[in-house]
Amino acid sequence: MNKYILKFPSEVVASPVLAETILETGTVLNILRAKVDYNEGTIVISVLGDEEKQKKVVEILTRKGVEVSKLRKGIINEEERCVDCGACISVCPAGAISFDKDGSVKIEKEKCHRCGVCIEVCPRRSLSIQEI
Amino acid sequence: MHIINPGKKLKKSIMKTIEDINKKIKKGEAVVVRADEMPDIFEEDPKKATEEVDIVTTGTFGMMCSSGAFINFGHSDPPIKMTRAWLNDVEAYTGIAAVDAYIGAAQISEEKGFEYGGGHVIEDLVAGREVNLRAEAYGTDCYPRKKARTTLTLEGVNQAMLFNPRNAYQRYNAATNSSDAVLYTYMGMLLSNKKNVNFAGCGEINPLINDPEYRTIGFGTRIFLGGAKGYVTGEGTQHNPKAGFGTISVKGNLKEMSDEFLKGATVHGYGTSLYVGIGIPIPILDEDMARRTAIRNKEINVKILDYGVQRRDRPVVREVSYEELFSGKVELDGKSARSSPLSSMKISVKIMDRLKEWIENKEFYLTKPLETLPRDTTVKTMKPRTEVPFIDDVMTKKVITAYPTDSINKVSMLIVENNIDQVPIVDEENRLVGIVTAWDLTKAIATRKRRLADIMTKKVITSRKGEYVDIVARRLGKHQVNSTPVINDEYKVIGIVTSSDINKVLGGGRR
Repeated sequence: MNKYILKFPSEVVASPVLAETILETGTVLNILRAKVDYNEGTIVISVLGDEEKQKKVVEILTRKGVEVSKLRKGIINEEERCVDCGACISVCPAGAISFDKDGSVKIEKEKCHRCGVCIEVCPRRSLSIQEI
Repeated sequence: MHIINPGKKLKKSIMKTIEDINKKIKKGEAVVVRADEMPDIFEEDPKKATEEVDIVTTGTFGMMCSSGAFINFGHSDPPIKMTRAWLNDVEAYTGIAAVDAYIGAAQISEEKGFEYGGGHVIEDLVAGREVNLRAEAYGTDCYPRKKARTTLTLEGVNQAMLFNPRNAYQRYNAATNSSDAVLYTYMGMLLSNKKNVNFAGCGEINPLINDPEYRTIGFGTRIFLGGAKGYVTGEGTQHNPKAGFGTISVKGNLKEMSDEFLKGATVHGYGTSLYVGIGIPIPILDEDMARRTAIRNKEINVKILDYGVQRRDRPVVREVSYEELFSGKVELDGKSARSSPLSSMKISVKIMDRLKEWIENKEFYLTKPLETLPRDTTVKTMKPRTEVPFIDDVMTKKVITAYPTDSINKVSMLIVENNIDQVPIVDEENRLVGIVTAWDLTKAIATRKRRLADIMTKKVITSRKGEYVDIVARRLGKHQVNSTPVINDEYKVIGIVTSSDINKVLGGGRR
């Protein structure tokens, strides 16, 4: 499974691009986060299936005018600011944050949906997200 | 007279005094262990544990409101008697003397709001960063200056004392939220429908929980405070020993402290605070003290309170142990909710270790408190002069409603004839299904929609019978709506309240 961030320019924002891609490839997509308005949209998806299917999904989306980039970075924690209080743990909808054995806050970037709730609740303002 | 056989009765029990322990510290022979290590040591052999362990170090690092610092800035020429003063745009209280001020952790910046507050000012000072001071005054014959601006550092001020009226809660009730809206509270973000549980306190390593009878803690107890030596100055505010919720007030020299153990905090949607690091050494005077310090997380219970009910006495969802809270999952109504602490275990452990190091290096000696903390007080409540009315007393009980099948024309007539702005839409049994406003009707005409069901708002901001007017007023403001239908437990409409109804009772003046 891989995660991708899709940017929809205004020309394609109104067309059912994702639905078409699912039909054409027969691949299961999961929408993790979406912010779409009349002008443009950003959608984060996870794509199930092997390398080939992944490649095909990216290819079709790109052909339809969507800007596709693979999600590599999750939430970034500035460790010098963080006090490892854990306020971010219970609010994470993906269950991506937990304590390490030594009591440090640990973020599993594979699980992260990049929703940003943890950034909002962090009392130390030590969390951030790098937009692509 | 009955004579007791001394050989039988006086089975020698171990007793140590603070002086005995201090002598051992001086000789470098004191045995110090951490509060999380003590349970196993005691369980293995209580007698041996009592005899061999001299001190158990405890620690906590959490956001502690009711913290702040007294600062004396020194006199300027010509001098000023400050009536108001700001440090980095955060107001400090100057009503104590000409150039003395108290900067409180929860005071927010006038410019940055919740993102920067008194807690952050204290962190900046302790870290050695420059802080801007701005002051105003009315001017007197002895203090003619009316305005002052300067940049200062902690090193440059005369005195800076951290003085926290309420710190180190013995334990604290956990929080969840049964309502269907997300809440931002001092217990952090509480997701809707009890999806998470937040809790504070460090359980078995918390200072007061290791001496719940306050035999060794009180006025004059030397402690670890913010990375330096500090002192307990007595009970804290809201000290509630009868319920097992003791607190302490503490004091220490800010100039000696470190930003490793004092850090500003922002609680989203709530305000600012200060993370304070506190460690208390507990002397093992006898077996009772040894047993107390052997407490485990599974033996410490707190309640999970429902913050979805915005009253002083919040309903209890269930009891829970710190062991379950720390496991990361808590069972609520058969479902598993994620749990988060708001205190840092990692830094608390560091505090226990640091305190241990100080003692082992003969840099820290124990003190016998001049007076121990009171054990029989309870917490009083505030009784405001005016009672906040219930929504039931304010709402319009005769509600004009319509059915989803009604025509747009009919609803328009209802709005005009009754001089109202909105009409709740109900089913045959008067249960709320939506709401239509005059604006919705205007939109319907513009977009040529005919059916009421197509234009009504289905997700209605509702209020419940028995809610306080203040809570409903806050809800209207938060969702930016002008009115809310009042419903009963069966979701039937029993009234409607508009913001002008509320303004009439709350008014703008003093209450």
